[in-house]
Amino acid sequence: MCEKQSDLKTNPSHFENPKKTTDTPTHMDLKWDEYKDKIQGFKFFDPHIHMVSRTTDDYQNMAQAGIVAVIEPAFWVGQPRTGLSSFKDYYSSLVGWERFRSSQFGIKHYCTMGLNSREANNERLAEEVMEILPLYVYKEGVVGIGEIGFDDQTELEEKYYRLQLELAKEAKLPVQIHTPHRDKKRGTERSMSIAIEHGLDPSWVIVDHNNEETVKSVLDQGFYAAFTIYPFTKMGNKRMVSIVEQYGAERIMINSSADWGISDPLAIPKTAALMVSRGIPNDVIRKVTYENAIEAFAKSGQIQVSDFELSIPSDPNEKFHGNSVLRGGQLPKWNQNSLYID
Amino acid sequence: MLTSNSAYFYPLLGKHTTEAEMKWLDSIPKDNPNALMTAFVKAPRFLSKTIIQEELKDQNLIPNLPGFQVNNWNLVRLSRVWFLSFLVTLSKNELIEKIETLFDTAELNELVALFSSLSILPYPQVWLPRATDAVRSNMGFVFDAIALHNPFPYHEFPELAWNQLVLKTIFNEKPIQMIYGLSQRKNQNLAISLISFVKERWSAGRDVPPEIWQLMVPYLSEGELYLVETLFKSRREEDVIAASLICSQSELKSFQLLLTKHPKFQEEIQNGKWDWSKLGNNH
Repeated sequence: MCEKQSDLKTNPSHFENPKKTTDTPTHMDLKWDEYKDKIQGFKFFDPHIHMVSRTTDDYQNMAQAGIVAVIEPAFWVGQPRTGLSSFKDYYSSLVGWERFRSSQFGIKHYCTMGLNSREANNERLAEEVMEILPLYVYKEGVVGIGEIGFDDQTELEEKYYRLQLELAKEAKLPVQIHTPHRDKKRGTERSMSIAIEHGLDPSWVIVDHNNEETVKSVLDQGFYAAFTIYPFTKMGNKRMVSIVEQYGAERIMINSSADWGISDPLAIPKTAALMVSRGIPNDVIRKVTYENAIEAFAKSGQIQVSDFELSIPSDPNEKFHGNSVLRGGQLPKWNQNSLYID
Repeated sequence: MLTSNSAYFYPLLGKHTTEAEMKWLDSIPKDNPNALMTAFVKAPRFLSKTIIQEELKDQNLIPNLPGFQVNNWNLVRLSRVWFLSFLVTLSKNELIEKIETLFDTAELNELVALFSSLSILPYPQVWLPRATDAVRSNMGFVFDAIALHNPFPYHEFPELAWNQLVLKTIFNEKPIQMIYGLSQRKNQNLAISLISFVKERWSAGRDVPPEIWQLMVPYLSEGELYLVETLFKSRREEDVIAASLICSQSELKSFQLLLTKHPKFQEEIQNGKWDWSKLGNNH
């Protein structure tokens, strides 16, 4: 959300996407004090965020902004993995360490499990990963198979995408589809038609990273359409507001996909604030920032709304069950402008 | 053939389950290790997270296993430990292989159940490396499962590992009172570590939890008298109470003499108003 940072070197993340410098910026960066009043009382659910790449500052700010639950999809971590053990440890961290870390901030953590499209191109490793994947998809708090789909749209990507659609059917889990950056429209259509070919019910499939060009077809065929609010490479938050104005709220959800690139874990609360400013009704905002994500992923049977709806600890000093990631004697840092570190 | 402790869990499960939940628990074939392992993993899909509130808090759930208690566990954790208790009838190699597999693929809540179950499994020496590793865990729930209300470390940990467990509990700001066997395993090395911890914290202008002094009392010599004098000057009343308790429990004359300068606390301790369990994180 970097409208004011035109001099900032763009750093395309997740997957390359050359940016034309003549683009009109569609990102609006908001400071906490500028938008906190607008979103007061809202609760948010981020159905796509890679917390493994984020800091405790992010967690604190997310909790403060009203994010009560997140889904962390298994994905490519930037450094290619060379062996099965790295995959095992990564999957374990999604249901172990990351789940715990999130709980420290009163945020309920779910995940989706899958072999991402980029690493599906390493056939030797992909075969091994497919063997252990069933061990993880049945774990508590796994709400789907994801993020899977196409990157370069190779034959191997298709092979493992199809195998994982079958796994999703068998495990009775929703599917979270990553759509490619390059040749997005064709990749999106291809992902959907293969899912239908495998007999998946479109209402069990969340198609992610949509834009103005893909959304209509996704919704018309009965899939969920997720939008990623991500500076430079994906959807701008101003553009997102226009999409909601045009398509309404049914089966639309927004997420941050915040990861190891320049991204914003507060994309949802900020976009909600923009929607409030633009006069979009509160019930529509609630649907695209909270309810629809729950409706889609709760089909896994793994989401108990009471786990995060009842009380949001607003004070990070409140330790979750007496546990803390904070080292002895540390206090959570609320005031980031303070000069003193005690 | 080893006998299982599973019978002790059964009445408790009956008390905390719905009919459908009990039906599922009963449906698992207890003589089939793979079915038990699958049930261990799948438990949250069939059971609620009802908290187990035991009325018999002061009695042992398992008579020959003091310190093993399930109070405040949830139903999923209790059921998982119950499933594991049936595996003890396997051969040694088979049992080790099954438990290791569960450990290697465990998520957070499964790890908690596994570490909670160590006391009811045979071959403690086999699990020792994993247990000492759990103390290194940064996942608070995993740490708690091994360190608090668990008799396994008391019986099995060598001194160095035991001392690390106690120190880490203090660093994590958790109540050391919940460590089973805490006062029985006081030792000189632990006291030395704690005395230097105190000096370090005080140099940095920080406090230490007042309840940790109980672990140093028998090992404080004349040379440490000045630490207790400093403690008496603290602005926190609980530090002063800790200092008074040290002096009242010390066998050294100089320490006992120091307490007479604080008659109010001397009297309150004599009247039983103060003990270590009322201080700091224990409180």
